[in-house]
Amino acid sequence: MIMPDMDSLAHPQERRFNPYTENGGTILAIAGADFSVIAGDTRQSEGYSIQTRYAPKVFRLTDRAVLAVNGFAADGNMFVKKVKQRLEWYHHAHAKDMPLRAIARLIQTMLYARRFFPYYVYNILGGIEEDGTGAVYSFDPVGSYEREACRAAGAAQSLVQPFLDNQIYFKNQEAAQGTSHPSHLPLETVLSIVIDSFTSATERHIEVGDGLEIFIALSKGRTLQGMESIRGLQELTVTEDGERLFVMRRDLKKD
Amino acid sequence: MDHFPTNWGRPRNDAFDAYATYPIHQRPYNGPKDTFADGVQRTQQPIVTGTSVLAIKYKDGVMMAADNLASYGSLARFKDVQRLHQVGNYTVIGAGGDMSDFQYIQYILEELSIDEISAQDGHELGPIEIHEYMSQLMYARRSKMNPLWNSLLIGGFKDGKRFLSYVDLLGTTYSASTLATGYGAFIAQPLLRKAVEGREDVITEEEARKILEDSMRVLFYRDARSMNKFQIATISSAGVSISDSMQLETAWSFAENIRGYGAQTQ
Amino acid sequence: MFLTRSEYDRGVNTFSPEGRLFQVEYAIEAIKLGSTTVGVRTPDGVVLAVEKRVQSPLLESSSIEKIMEIDTHLGCAMSGLTADARTMIDHARVTAQNHAFTYDERIKVESVTQAVCDLALRFGESVHDEEAMMSRPFGVALLIAGVDELGPQLYHTDPSGTFMRYNAKAIGSGSEAAQSELQDKWHKQMTLLEAQKLALRVLKQVMEEKLDHHNVQLAQVTPQKGFAILDEVQLKEIIDAM
Repeated sequence: MIMPDMDSLAHPQERRFNPYTENGGTILAIAGADFSVIAGDTRQSEGYSIQTRYAPKVFRLTDRAVLAVNGFAADGNMFVKKVKQRLEWYHHAHAKDMPLRAIARLIQTMLYARRFFPYYVYNILGGIEEDGTGAVYSFDPVGSYEREACRAAGAAQSLVQPFLDNQIYFKNQEAAQGTSHPSHLPLETVLSIVIDSFTSATERHIEVGDGLEIFIALSKGRTLQGMESIRGLQELTVTEDGERLFVMRRDLKKD
Repeated sequence: MDHFPTNWGRPRNDAFDAYATYPIHQRPYNGPKDTFADGVQRTQQPIVTGTSVLAIKYKDGVMMAADNLASYGSLARFKDVQRLHQVGNYTVIGAGGDMSDFQYIQYILEELSIDEISAQDGHELGPIEIHEYMSQLMYARRSKMNPLWNSLLIGGFKDGKRFLSYVDLLGTTYSASTLATGYGAFIAQPLLRKAVEGREDVITEEEARKILEDSMRVLFYRDARSMNKFQIATISSAGVSISDSMQLETAWSFAENIRGYGAQTQ
Repeated sequence: MFLTRSEYDRGVNTFSPEGRLFQVEYAIEAIKLGSTTVGVRTPDGVVLAVEKRVQSPLLESSSIEKIMEIDTHLGCAMSGLTADARTMIDHARVTAQNHAFTYDERIKVESVTQAVCDLALRFGESVHDEEAMMSRPFGVALLIAGVDELGPQLYHTDPSGTFMRYNAKAIGSGSEAAQSELQDKWHKQMTLLEAQKLALRVLKQVMEEKLDHHNVQLAQVTPQKGFAILDEVQLKEIIDAM
């Protein structure tokens, strides 16, 4: 038997309520030149228990902005609820949808406002900027953020991000003689990278699986090129300007 | 000058933090103060506890089960406690965890129901509304570091739709066609999933009852904080009904044949 | 006061039986005593022009400040009790900065105007045990000029908290004559220089003194350079070109 050390006994012990938990799952977003793809699995878990096979982590915010939220689910849901509320207030006050970069900054201020009792969530915001480019913003729980071309977060971040670094940023890849790596990949390629990321994460991480939701935001005037072969695609909105938002749902392994 | 419209119409304190640069919890609180606030006790651990609640969706609605035991640690302290509680005309809420917190929740929901009925505005609280309300309440309490120490299942049937969802002391929510709290999440949930998933629209009331009874029996065998006296609630288009307490046939003869641990090594 | 309006002009927040708030109406009257202020919108930007009444030869005319910056893309000219405008512009500035901080974008002209107007009717308002923040309506009208994603815009606000968008607007003592002149001369495709000259010409017509670079002030908000008050040299050039 291990003897209790006298130091720890000398101090009064306090058992404190822990207001946080981890609910697993993984999210991911990739920006193209004129599109953005935001995805997440739908499993919610705690420890070794699957709580439900369908709890969405990816949410449509506006016609051109989608937010993926991962970490402590109760905080995540509350945070999304509050962001949506702020977007509605903004719409009433300024008679327009909030632009993507404004949403990104708003999310920072909302997260940092809780600096000393943080929302325990990792956010990835994807969508179309006012200049028509595809964009991804990633955040830490207290609001540090940056615009990136791609980002994975959550339980399988450590599995997926290196794969994206290699496939999107071409890290550790040498371009063939006389050629260079493309700065943006076509939608078809991006979608297969997303799907492969999740099937792989499902294979190797117990907290990932059950279902996959992929949102696709298209810039105005962009054709559906690269989406022809996709089954189960559902169009959510078309804006007056011609931006389009789609969602596709896939099964992942349930074991 | 107060530049923040959200502060307008409230008592102000211009001398401190006029531009709200301090994080919310450090900002001055100008409201009424509770002299005894420092002496208030918070639930830091559950005392008298209920164990699992089970629930499944079936063809006609939702069925739930919970036993009648409230434990004081390992002592089976109260043996006639109802842990399934009807709220309004369409909803049943089942609770595991601290029973005094659950009684407080019943009180709060009773007040809420009275307010809603008094309004006479044609709105009735259904399971969706009650679940949303409980989610907000549980999350708000955990955010004040003063949780209601429960895991709740909320089942109901309204406007032709089944509803079944979970919420706990952290404000975590989820819904599925089978749910189980506490020890039931480990022992009963796999059995429930095997019996129900994909068959929600086929299972009859009799079948559903059988599935829950079988799961409750397994729980009684395996969960030391459970009791062979429980109730079943059904919520369907016919409304809510919570059964009288019942017992299950159990068989313990197998126990004699168990060998290999404890004092019986041979 | 002998000609009382049946006592309904005492309380700042009491309606008369005819449904009027006399104190607010008096405040609007106060603006008509103020110096003339003109705003002109063009596709290239917005021009603001004010008359500075130099009441004494010993007065340093450069110390009269009737056009102020709200943000890099927003400017404001005033007429009436100009001291009241400080509170409003302070609020406008904080609102604009707060918007930029929270949303990483420049606030729209209409939104900042709305924010200023939200203040206008908050006189006589108080919470239990506290003094009202403002005891009377503002006695000042503003011309808020700015550029945003909807292009150059000009807004007019008055003490009732009403705001409206104009292509060209005059406020203050000479506003009636000035407004009809603007109505005659303003056209859709004005250049910025034409607008500057129009604004000065309108001021000149309603001013008692002879217009020169000491007794007027001119500012502009353009998509390229944002808000700028024209310096003496630039002002002189325009006066000469007029």
